[in-house]
Amino acid sequence: MFELLFNYPLSVYRKGTFVFSSGWPAALLAASLLVALAAVAALLWRRRLPRKRALVMGALEWGVLALLLVLLWQPALSVTVLKPQQNVVAVVVDTSQSMGLEQRYAQAKRLVEEGLAGELGKRFPVRLYQAGETPSRIDSLPAGPSARRTDLGAALRQIAAESSLLPVGAVVLLTDGADNAGNLGPDTIQALRRARIPVHAVGFGTERISNDVEMLDAELPARVLPQSRLSLMVTLRQAGFRDKTARLQVKEGGRIVAQKDIRLRSDGETWRETLSLNAGDAGVKSFEISVAPFPGESNERNNTLERLVDVRDRKPRLLYFEGEPRWEMKFIRRAVEDDPQLDLASIVRTTENKFYRQGIRSPKELERGFPSSVEELFAFQGLIIGNVEAGYFTPAQQTLIREFADRRGGGILFLGGRAALSDGGWHRSPLAEILPVVLPDRKGAFHREPATAELTRAGMESLVTRIEEDQEKNASRWKALPHLADYQESGAPKPGATVLAEAVPGGRGRHPLLVTQTYGRGRVALLATGGTWRWQMAQDARDQSHEMFWRQLLRWVAGSVEERVTLLTSCRICQPGEEVLLRAEVRDRNYLPASGAVVAAHLMGPGGVADTVELAPSRTEPGVYEARWRAARPGAWLAEAVAREGVDELGRDTATFHLADGSAEFFRTEQNRELLERLAAQTGGRYWRPEDARGLGREIELSEAGITVRETRAVWNAPAAFLLLAGLKAAEWLVRRRWGAI
Amino acid sequence: MRMRKQLVVLLGAVMLAGTLGAFQRGYQSIRRLFPESDDDMIPAGAQEKAEFYFARLRYPNVRATGIWAMRGSWTVDYPKADRQFLQGLIRLTRIHANPMERVVDLVSDEIFDYPFVYVVEPGHWDLPESQARKLREFIDRGGFLMTDDFHGTFEWELFTASLNKAFADRPIEDIDDGDPIFHVLYDLDGRVQVPGIVNYPFHKTYEYDGIEPKWRAWRDSKGRIAIAICFNMDQGDAWEWADNPHYPEKYASQAYRTAINYIIYAMTH
Repeated sequence: MFELLFNYPLSVYRKGTFVFSSGWPAALLAASLLVALAAVAALLWRRRLPRKRALVMGALEWGVLALLLVLLWQPALSVTVLKPQQNVVAVVVDTSQSMGLEQRYAQAKRLVEEGLAGELGKRFPVRLYQAGETPSRIDSLPAGPSARRTDLGAALRQIAAESSLLPVGAVVLLTDGADNAGNLGPDTIQALRRARIPVHAVGFGTERISNDVEMLDAELPARVLPQSRLSLMVTLRQAGFRDKTARLQVKEGGRIVAQKDIRLRSDGETWRETLSLNAGDAGVKSFEISVAPFPGESNERNNTLERLVDVRDRKPRLLYFEGEPRWEMKFIRRAVEDDPQLDLASIVRTTENKFYRQGIRSPKELERGFPSSVEELFAFQGLIIGNVEAGYFTPAQQTLIREFADRRGGGILFLGGRAALSDGGWHRSPLAEILPVVLPDRKGAFHREPATAELTRAGMESLVTRIEEDQEKNASRWKALPHLADYQESGAPKPGATVLAEAVPGGRGRHPLLVTQTYGRGRVALLATGGTWRWQMAQDARDQSHEMFWRQLLRWVAGSVEERVTLLTSCRICQPGEEVLLRAEVRDRNYLPASGAVVAAHLMGPGGVADTVELAPSRTEPGVYEARWRAARPGAWLAEAVAREGVDELGRDTATFHLADGSAEFFRTEQNRELLERLAAQTGGRYWRPEDARGLGREIELSEAGITVRETRAVWNAPAAFLLLAGLKAAEWLVRRRWGAI
Repeated sequence: MRMRKQLVVLLGAVMLAGTLGAFQRGYQSIRRLFPESDDDMIPAGAQEKAEFYFARLRYPNVRATGIWAMRGSWTVDYPKADRQFLQGLIRLTRIHANPMERVVDLVSDEIFDYPFVYVVEPGHWDLPESQARKLREFIDRGGFLMTDDFHGTFEWELFTASLNKAFADRPIEDIDDGDPIFHVLYDLDGRVQVPGIVNYPFHKTYEYDGIEPKWRAWRDSKGRIAIAICFNMDQGDAWEWADNPHYPEKYASQAYRTAINYIIYAMTH
């Protein structure tokens, strides 16, 4: 309709600029319009009509004159169009497995072979590409979609790169938009915009899932200590099975390690479920997380996800410094002494000038009390500071404590006590900065009064406070805990800190009890009490809540502390054909970035496949070494980075990742129209539905890419102009008739 | 025949009366040197809450007759010994201790608020099954028991008769000199027998047949000392009479050091 009235489609108006093809000056048109306006006004003035009638009549008469004047100047549209037969149109077809759903690929193939290619081919040479694991140019479309991955970004970047040698006028992209390579980011858009290539995206597939339960994501930590409790967070959505109950199950080595019945939420709603499980013994564990499929599900392959967890047999070491003998220390030591993954050394000041050391490895270790050197303190992964005044530590030791978290990446736990926190002057010490709370500016904050510990919402979800596997049972368990022997007012939590539990002394308000935050490379926690020992003494000897709490807390404090070499990979579940970025952060003996190291990574894959790759120093980040590498076979891979400085080994670290076998193609399978519309809009193209795509050829020529020519297209002769003229005259006639002027 | 029997009974009665009289005279002369004090003023600071409380166990006594019925009760040396010891503990260590003892029993659950418990004269206790089991629960949760002031074979047997109702699964053993409990603060090498005041003037330091002092222990499943048994010695008297010139300083000194070590051990193990 638009085209019928205005001669051209809307896109021509959008892309073109208005000009007058008569060649007469526009100023003359403006002057003529003013003269016409004055003449109409003078005529009406003479007739002495009522004001309202004069205005209406004047507007209609001047409108006719103005329109005729504008048409005399011959308005037109100036547009940039591709020169016929001199520009290439790239037709990119998604050949990934998700296109096999709902006959998407068949539709796209039919559209290309039976219409689009022929129509485009009349005006432009057409180049055919397939976007799968790796983009490639093809002569004809394959029979079916078989690629195990969709990498639209790589295909578009390749075409943008080719445009420097080849006049690429436009890209027609036929896809469901289910890109799972993550390369369709700002870089790709920028490359297309620089080359001025519009992308016309034709979207296939339904835009909403139906009769399907889909597991969108499953989050597990990458590395944990053996026998650690893991929190699995699963993101789900469904359609067609609202309010039904499904079983969420986790298997490891074919054995069920956790399961939970869940109620399915509304159609299309995305929600999360959490499940806790035990990491088990050391080794690389592959957890299979699944939701049992319902009869009649349209896609059962998106009900299962696999995740790797590196269960490392490490034994982080903690140093506990206590300013005076107290029960808390005894019971903390007892709680963790059976934990094979925690090693606790402690120093307690028994008298003014004597220490008692436990858990030391040699008689010389810590013989002067709290460490004063990097070598001695940084040998630990965690630090517990008990009931001791800030002033007990020298300025150098205070700096060392801060550096322990900031530079070394260690974990620090501050405990409450009569000489701790603000009662110990910590609020006025330089170390106040690293605490997760703003301590009250006064003494007398420590009270030997009973207080109950209550979990906050964050605490209910945190693993640090998980005494029972089940979240609800855990909350009930906390409510049943005996009261603490004491509590300390700890002030307000700092922005970014997380309050996991509060101390509630009967009728005397609530105070943050357990607060955590990250600081620099490390983490800091505060437990504003010295009285959790009552959880042990006031409960049955078989009760394990006290032990569980302290093991979980100290594992949080010291369990994920990195050593001098840290190896990371860009993906834990990598897609077929994806390049894996190996990134090692290397620090010297003082935990400062080591710039002169030699770093190599050894990779071992399924079936004994092995490879070695050198990591090159990053140009922007000191102490960082990187390499890109592509895995050859699907399956679990283990990478070990070794850093050397001269003949000395600085350290080594391992990372695991899994090269997927294409199952990602069966997740998020509905058409991602939003992505395609955004891509088209950002590049100057347009989103098309398959049934409208046959008109694509005419719009493609409006492009500024490739070899173009400027065309002037007349619009003065558009039917709409004459209809407007007729409409104005008809309106004038009607008005005159109504007012009796005829 | 009947005459002879009456003579034997009469002789026995005279001898017993003589022995009791002699004992009474000796005891009175000792008491003149070590007078019982009626001063049981509550020490300053007793109402303040503290980290450490010296808890004394109140227990039921065994039914005895004769000389055995004359001694042995949970109140022996109470409260002066406790309070005088606590003065030393507060002065010599960094432990935040309350200056007044607390009394606990194995009937209520209050004992679980006091992880260190002292028991005197357990050679005369008679724990019912339920109390023995509660004592075991106290120990299993992490409590520490120090026993003191019982002597000789007869009292040892009474002591273990009650203890074995709940602690027979592991043996009582002598503590090695190298054990941390003797070194946690003071190095307690070369220990001597600490006598009670009944031994005045301390030419001999033992009572009954308890000639050798024994530092014994019942250990928990992790090998930690959970019940420290001071057998054939009397720390309580040493604390109580540490301020008395007639009581030798070397014994008082060792008694303080031993108990301080035991308490620090209890608070760290």
